[in-house]
Amino acid sequence: MTITTRMKSLAFGTSLGLFATLGAANAQETIKLGLSIPLSGAGAIWGKGSEFMCKKAAQEIAQAGGVKVEGKTYNFECLAYDNKYNAAEGTRVAQTLLNRDGVKFIAGSLGTAPVQALQSLSERQGVVMFTTAWGSSIKGPKFPLTFTQMNTAFEIIPPLIRYIHGLHPEAKSVAMLNPNDATGRETEGVSKKVWTDTGVKILSSDFYERGTTEFQPIAARIASLKPEVVDLASLPPADAGVVLRELDVLGWKGVKVIAVGTGVDGLKATGGNAIEGVYMGAAVIFDGPTATSQQKAINDEARGVLGESLNSIQIGFYDSVYAIKAAMEKAQSIDPKKVGAVLADVSFTSFYGNKVDFYGTGTYGARQQMRLPVSISQVQDGKLVEKSRIVPEGN
Amino acid sequence: MQTTIQLILTSLQIGAVYILFSLGLTLIFGVMRIVNFAHGHLFAVSALVVAYTVPWLASGGIPVLPAYLLSVLAGVSVAMALGFLMYIFGFRGFRRDMVGSFILSIGLVLLLDGILLKTFGGAVRPVPEILPGTVTILGAAVTVQRFALCVAAVVITGVLYLALTRTKLGKALRAVSIDHEAAMMQGIPYNRMALAGFMIASALAALAGALIAPVTIVSPVIGADYLIKGFIAVIVGGLGSVPGAILGGLFVAAIETFGAFYFDPSSASIGIFLLVIVVLLVRPKGLLGHG
Repeated sequence: MTITTRMKSLAFGTSLGLFATLGAANAQETIKLGLSIPLSGAGAIWGKGSEFMCKKAAQEIAQAGGVKVEGKTYNFECLAYDNKYNAAEGTRVAQTLLNRDGVKFIAGSLGTAPVQALQSLSERQGVVMFTTAWGSSIKGPKFPLTFTQMNTAFEIIPPLIRYIHGLHPEAKSVAMLNPNDATGRETEGVSKKVWTDTGVKILSSDFYERGTTEFQPIAARIASLKPEVVDLASLPPADAGVVLRELDVLGWKGVKVIAVGTGVDGLKATGGNAIEGVYMGAAVIFDGPTATSQQKAINDEARGVLGESLNSIQIGFYDSVYAIKAAMEKAQSIDPKKVGAVLADVSFTSFYGNKVDFYGTGTYGARQQMRLPVSISQVQDGKLVEKSRIVPEGN
Repeated sequence: MQTTIQLILTSLQIGAVYILFSLGLTLIFGVMRIVNFAHGHLFAVSALVVAYTVPWLASGGIPVLPAYLLSVLAGVSVAMALGFLMYIFGFRGFRRDMVGSFILSIGLVLLLDGILLKTFGGAVRPVPEILPGTVTILGAAVTVQRFALCVAAVVITGVLYLALTRTKLGKALRAVSIDHEAAMMQGIPYNRMALAGFMIASALAALAGALIAPVTIVSPVIGADYLIKGFIAVIVGGLGSVPGAILGGLFVAAIETFGAFYFDPSSASIGIFLLVIVVLLVRPKGLLGHG
């Protein structure tokens, strides 16, 4: 073998190796999906479950062959930071995700205040953001890259309150309680209007600080007003459970509502038997006839990790990953602006088992809301029972 | 009238925990002249250990009450061990150094926050009902658990007060608190007194955490809310004053209860901070402060 032949062989081998390496690199290319979620405090169970569901979807997509864009294959990696459900930590998380980690897709963000902090950067930097935040002020044509991954107060509260009013027409007064932050304020506005429209008198509408540990004074105030309905609209399960327990001690009996109530386990942990009869608007039932085998399997796995069943907040973090995948494949691009531009037009198979698209022009002025079913459920004998399921219509 | 009695009882129930918490803070300040921001973590550790061990022991067939008492022992032991480590490897080198101890305790807060979250997770831990039922006092309803908590808090506070006024150790601690150099000249070992004061404070925080665990939301961040209220109580009552800590704890609880009832919970929180501002303007040393 001459030197020239050897050189050619070496060059060929090196080129082959380089191509092989590049090919392998392409196959393993990873797109980071950022998560701004509470991983501590009363809302931690939502955050931990959300991270679990994001990772689950990413794992399923990887096992199914990844995301195919222009002949390349991409996989997702979920990157979660604790926003502690407040604006200050939300700002820190936003800067870490976008400026330090270079994330271009937010697969989920929880809590209106931290989400607003994140959105102030994401829209400016052309980053696609999914959120569970309830505020109508974060959606619309002004925020083309923001999408909602679960039903919000605007989708849940009107049918929920009307349903409860239909069952309890004798209930003519309500006392409301919400956390004193953007989530609570937005929720209170919607609840107040719907209760008033249905002819129920609002006796009080109070706010408390997140992180509060003593709910006795709050319960004493509510009980003294003798409301026929208590609406703990957007309270986290642990807080809502304590309020209901303290109300029970004080002898209050009436209709209990938690619009954002997402499940029975977290509520029962602090509320005990006092949670009996609670109506919820954001819970998902896995032991009913509508649950699929895939849902049950993932829920069983989640119960092992989290200690409680999945809820609609956490499921939103699964659906958003599939929505991003569908949009990337439709746009044939991983450029967040191109992906964001087609997101409103994609449909994908949701965790709920059906095809889901985006709507919301009537409420928000843009199709940025996933069309998800609204499930109205009630705690009966310590278990959740689905009372009604409504699939929203319109554009 | 019944409403007033209910509100007074609620204030006493909430105040009982604030008192135990603030007694520890004031004791540490009195003896060592430091402010320990990591005090809430001792409280949290104890509550978390109780929240984990009660269900575990109960599932092993031990009745709930003995399981709880064993868990209290475990929680207090773990929290005191943590307090000992904090003192030996940290605060011992920063006695009577307000700035140094401030920076150290903030660092400890961040470190312990991370460790607790990693160890226990961020989720809320339920504790089974230990003493079921409700009692009626002058027409006002109180759970047996809360009532037991109040009784325990009164007993602990009484024992501490007697110990500080009647025993040799208590008198030595008070002497060090008033003038540590004069106390040393009288032969009182300051180093040992500082450790004793820190450990008693740790035990108080741990007991408060273990007692409140069955009636509240137990999570790694539980100490933060109590730390703020405890600090406000000692500032209002007077840093270093035991009667002041008791008075301050009751004041904070009363404002929280009556404010939330007659206005709303957020206004009550504002009211508590307004109280601090007024006390600091009118009586900067606190209501019963002397140093």
